[in-house]
Amino acid sequence: MAIENEKVSASESLRKTRTYGKVRCMNPSCMGRLEPAPGSMQITCPVCGMSYRLFWVTPELPRIRGPVWEVNRKLAEEVMAKKKLEASKDGSL
Amino acid sequence: MALDRKIAYIDLSTGKSEIKPIPLEVRKKFIGGRGLDAYLLFNNAPQGCDPLGPENTLIISGGLLTATCASATSRTHIMAKSPLTGLLGSTNMGGFFSAEMAWADFHHLVITGKAEKPVYLWIHNGQIEIRDAVKLWGKSSTETQWAIREELGDQEIKSAVIGQAGENLVTYANVMTGIKNAGGRTGMGCVMGSKNLKAVAVRGTMDVKIAHPLEALEFNKKFIEQITTAKVNKTQGTLGTHFIWGATNSWGGIRTRNFQFNQMENADELEPESLDDIATETMGPYHMTGCFGCQVHCRAQYRIPSGPYAGIYNEGPEYTSFGAFGSEPDCNKAETVLTANYLVNQYGVDNLEIGSIISWAMELYELGIITSKETDGIDLRFSNADALIEMIHRICTRKGWLGNVLADGGIPASEKIGKHSFDYLIQVKGMNNLHSDERATPGLALNIATSSRGSDHLRSRPAIDLYHLPESVLRKIYSSPVPYEGPLSSDSMEYIGKPWQVFWQENCYMAVDSIGICKYHTTFLGATLPNFEDWPRAIYLNTGLELTPKDIWDAAERSNNMERLFNLREGLTRYDLVKGDMLNHRYFDEPCLRGAPDVIGIMIDRKKFDVMVDEFYGHHGWDKEGVPTQATLTRLGLEQEPTHLL
Ligand code: SF4
Ligand SMILES: [Zn+2]
Repeated sequence: MAIENEKVSASESLRKTRTYGKVRCMNPSCMGRLEPAPGSMQITCPVCGMSYRLFWVTPELPRIRGPVWEVNRKLAEEVMAKKKLEASKDGSL
Repeated sequence: MALDRKIAYIDLSTGKSEIKPIPLEVRKKFIGGRGLDAYLLFNNAPQGCDPLGPENTLIISGGLLTATCASATSRTHIMAKSPLTGLLGSTNMGGFFSAEMAWADFHHLVITGKAEKPVYLWIHNGQIEIRDAVKLWGKSSTETQWAIREELGDQEIKSAVIGQAGENLVTYANVMTGIKNAGGRTGMGCVMGSKNLKAVAVRGTMDVKIAHPLEALEFNKKFIEQITTAKVNKTQGTLGTHFIWGATNSWGGIRTRNFQFNQMENADELEPESLDDIATETMGPYHMTGCFGCQVHCRAQYRIPSGPYAGIYNEGPEYTSFGAFGSEPDCNKAETVLTANYLVNQYGVDNLEIGSIISWAMELYELGIITSKETDGIDLRFSNADALIEMIHRICTRKGWLGNVLADGGIPASEKIGKHSFDYLIQVKGMNNLHSDERATPGLALNIATSSRGSDHLRSRPAIDLYHLPESVLRKIYSSPVPYEGPLSSDSMEYIGKPWQVFWQENCYMAVDSIGICKYHTTFLGATLPNFEDWPRAIYLNTGLELTPKDIWDAAERSNNMERLFNLREGLTRYDLVKGDMLNHRYFDEPCLRGAPDVIGIMIDRKKFDVMVDEFYGHHGWDKEGVPTQATLTRLGLEQEPTHLL
């Protein structure tokens, strides 16, 4: 028959790439892998400075619960101020 | 055999029904579920028909693998011309309904006409009866299901029903089964209401002959392992889809205050982890329930903690309810979301659409476009949870001027309200957008703009790139079963290569909806979950049907073209803001103001977006207007449509 029995599909082969114990920084171009200490409740990305609150689905599986709001707001305001300054310099504002 | 399940044609005007087999050739061309529904709709609903008229054709189906030994394949699909959009109406729900329908010998019901007074269909072991439903009219979705079980004396009956929203012809009314399974987009409950069809009740005890039962069971174990070991499904099984809302809000990909902002700040009470402390019975691995044949169990059970509905049991809320009743209207109390989620399930109305339309009205109120005269004195400002709940009641019962107007859907409402109100309506093809913000993810923006049933995250959603995987991994996924050597970027903020991802995912989800699988068991949530290469064996072992991955791809592409042809026939044109593949101007003109540093200041680039649409049409074999070329139709064997083969 046309169905190949033992061939490993792309999705099956990619299972090897699953990692436990780590989360990814959620700042889109940063994406740094962060490895929180087991059971820890917070982590800061050393690259972009985003800080996150953590939740442990299982003792091996952390997930980002949400940002640390004050840090998030501060970083956002800095970026906005910088963008406004650039825009006023190149005349687009 | 699983393949022997039939199509029933039921005319509610005459009370007659006819049962026909599904020829193998048609199976191979359209597989089943949504794919075959698209074919049936195109061939049975007359061009230009009134969505609320007797000639509109309502199709209810299960997928090819529904009720077999393949897990998580009990999705029910419903299709008709949409009263909300005037284009393709199509919706999909979980639960147990379609499996029961398959055991009763049917895979597709094609319902036309209109009953003189309320009726329900009673379908059991190959028999079809039309029964009186006058006593059921006015009942909520759950009450209706219990009343039918009571009347027929069988607690195992599964029913797909409408609540009061469908009876009142709210154009985004749901079809519901169980407590919260909702066929919730494009107003299929409204079509049922227009036909005086309160419910379809099914019960089946017929054998399903599996082609290779032992091997099918053995193979399914492998499938289950692949599904349940995925990190994303472990999280899903603990927190439900709500976890996706939390994750999206973290980086600023959510809509709030009717798209004015892209993150709900300090939303701690709405985070999935908080609900364990708030609702009396929710979250955690032991409070999750699921659909027939599923090992993930993604939905929470809860009791409303306080307020007028305190103590009432319900299920969910999903991502969408947190968007619709939390972030979008900017209401930060969990109780509001839990209450609203319960109400929309009972009324049987689309949580996404009603949350969006109320939030749109809130912005119009704050802008002075509507005033307390139109709201009958309701202070319809953002964050007013009481106003939100009151508007849900008013819309579903068409009470008051605004309730009645908003029940007609966004575009008709904007025509009645006037004064630039349309500019603030965040919709595509007349259907409101999911409560996420796609400005930082051009691939997702292309997906929602071009989806066949209006703004839609369930028809393509090229979201694997949000997982920040290496490009080589993306290429592995997106080059099968059709080789792809063009550009492909693993950067979710890029425009390059995204049209192929959208095209690929579109075919993938058409296949998923046709086989009848839950999307959480496919690439919807991650690269390591099954797709084209994994399905043929499950299909072969359960049904005996030999299909290659490419055969499934071709059937999906063919079915997507059927949906496109239907939309073109009913008036879709590329740049039309009401019926086209276009986005609201806010995507192009207003920058994101919140979220992660990279997201701040981002908008969709109009020129690049246009190039993406061109490229996307090109992958489909459509011309610059989005119309399939003759060569494409011939390649797919659609040059003779409409054929009325069935
Ligand atoms: S993952 Fe959730 S929606 Fe899908 S089949 Fe399982 S319980 Fe149903
Ligand atoms: Zn970072």
